[in-house]
Amino acid sequence: MKKKLAVLATALMSVCLVGGCGSTKQSVPKDGEVENIRLMVWAPSEDQSKDSGEWLRKCCDAFAEKHPEYNIHFTYGVADEATAATTVAQDPDSSADVFMYANDNLTVLTDAKAAAKFGGIYEQEVVDTNSQTIVDSLRSDGYLYGVPFTTNTWYMFYDKSVFSEEDIKSLDTMLERGVVSFPFTNSWYLPAFYIGNGCTLFEDGTVEEAGVDFAGEKATDVTNYLIDLLANPNFVVDADGAGMAGLRDGSINAIFTGSWDAGSIKEILGDNMGVAQLPSYTLNGEQKQMYAYAGSKAIGVNSSSDHMVAAIQLAIYLGSSEAQRLHYELRNVVPCNTELLNDESIANDMLVTAQNNTFNNTSILQPFVSAMSNCWTPVENMGKGIRNKTVTHDNADEQTQAMNDAMNSNGL
Amino acid sequence: MEEISYGSARRKRLITNTVVYVALSILAIIWVFPIIWVVLTSFRAEKGSYVSTFLPQSYTFDNYVKLFTDTTILNFPKMFGNTLFIAICSCILSTFYVLAVSYCLSRLRFKMRKPYMNMAMVLGLFPGFMSMVAVYFILKALGLSEGGLIRLALILCYSGGAGLSFQIAKGFFDTIPVAIDEAALIDGCTRWQIFWKISLPLSKPMVVYTILTAFIGPWVDFIFAKVICRANADYYTVAIGLWRMLEKEYIDSWYTCFAAGAVIISIPIAALFMFLQRYYVDGMSGAVKG
Repeated sequence: MKKKLAVLATALMSVCLVGGCGSTKQSVPKDGEVENIRLMVWAPSEDQSKDSGEWLRKCCDAFAEKHPEYNIHFTYGVADEATAATTVAQDPDSSADVFMYANDNLTVLTDAKAAAKFGGIYEQEVVDTNSQTIVDSLRSDGYLYGVPFTTNTWYMFYDKSVFSEEDIKSLDTMLERGVVSFPFTNSWYLPAFYIGNGCTLFEDGTVEEAGVDFAGEKATDVTNYLIDLLANPNFVVDADGAGMAGLRDGSINAIFTGSWDAGSIKEILGDNMGVAQLPSYTLNGEQKQMYAYAGSKAIGVNSSSDHMVAAIQLAIYLGSSEAQRLHYELRNVVPCNTELLNDESIANDMLVTAQNNTFNNTSILQPFVSAMSNCWTPVENMGKGIRNKTVTHDNADEQTQAMNDAMNSNGL
Repeated sequence: MEEISYGSARRKRLITNTVVYVALSILAIIWVFPIIWVVLTSFRAEKGSYVSTFLPQSYTFDNYVKLFTDTTILNFPKMFGNTLFIAICSCILSTFYVLAVSYCLSRLRFKMRKPYMNMAMVLGLFPGFMSMVAVYFILKALGLSEGGLIRLALILCYSGGAGLSFQIAKGFFDTIPVAIDEAALIDGCTRWQIFWKISLPLSKPMVVYTILTAFIGPWVDFIFAKVICRANADYYTVAIGLWRMLEKEYIDSWYTCFAAGAVIISIPIAALFMFLQRYYVDGMSGAVKG
């Protein structure tokens, strides 16, 4: 009797186990059958707020309409592009099926095996509608991990009544005409000068073994230039919002920031607001172009999604020209779809032009190899050292070398 | 001769007092300075996170209005409500836990008493957030990491470990003479009645202290709330909300509102303290007299 019971119990358990497996498998519906699915989507709160037009809900509704084969129940969550990847990587199982992330977090996702790869027709569609650089920013080991929807970089905002179109080509001319502020102690911005004079990060940003080359005479020259730049009375260090405050009270005429501040700057400068790609600077009599770090923001799909096909299709739709146009109209998110950029109404937008010019002409793709995480603090310390005058012309050489060493070591 | 020395002693005391008071005043000003600055900033009319002047050029009440009306992106009233609810629930729970555990350890004698106290001592040496990841996965396994149950999850987090921090309250209970308990026992009180009707009324300052710390903990916590709420913006607490206001997308337009929020979250704590203070003073003036 006992034995029979045991057999029965085992049988029951194995049935439950099989059933458990079965429920996670994706059921393939027959033709004409409607599949009930749940999709969780994470996006920044602005994409979901009524005041800025509920971009996400509108797009998801449109997607559902285009796909009658699914009966989709959407769940929305709030996660901005900067932190979404980390949150997803922490626990992919209970994270969104579709989320938006900044490409500098790509390795966080791939290390946790949390992002789904795009292949076949889906990959082709992304490649066809975006520039090579943007697509490359979402590739790791040859695989594509998302659908880009905007570029992510910083550039220059200036007061047109102070600087002419000609002035803004050179930082040194600008410093003669007006007051310029630069986030000197922020390591997302400061490398622009070093990269301008031939310093490199991981060769083209992808070869981790190559390391960082911020050493030698080319880097020391830049350090010396920066020391002189700080001493210029028309130069102000932008930290803790000082640049924006200066723009507001008129004591500063140009600052370096990105599209997130465009609304506030428009409010301050009105029609005098100018936006442009980065200027060049004069080093030892030669013009050197500044280069910003640039990246992209993309729509990613969770690799543990239960409805992979639908999730990938939704991601493709959220990154399509239609969704990008709506994003631009509702929230001024600069599109990156190549067709859309040729559209006249969009191409004439000053901000779009500046952001794309910066992306195409005056930026490098921000490296997203893991070793890049060692590169932030040393540069920040260099900026602070120059500001605090502990880095001087006398020790510029050794301090620059020390920065390079620190960037090439993992601190252990 | 005598008169002179008397005068010089007075002068000496006067000088000492002056020096002490001046020093204390300076320290007090330095100490209160940041708080005043936050309050001033919360009424600042100029926008942005950075201003070149210490005192605002003009004052406004708009920051407070915006904080409570502009709810589409950062819903402060909702976060405030969430936090208040969570803090009140976990305050009640953990106050009860702490007092009950302390009373037991002070009055009852049982086999596990010493081992329990040692264990609590050792566990208390580790920082609480060390267990954060484990706590998250346990809550997830119990299905508490989604939807409205997040509030319950947070309440459990904040009050669950309260039984370990009995030391101060137990010390206080130890000072109440056991003779009182014995008298009550002879009169027919149960243990619960002694705890509820005799020991607690005699320990008002301790109860007040426990309530205050039990309320402030969840009220200001950031780490657990951040880990457990993840992308569920509907259940964010004020700590997460205030942190988000300082992100680069929001800081320029939300900075003064952030200061306003900081002022507002201090109100419940201040109110609780002021309300409970009189018991605090009453209790301190000697509970077991007569």
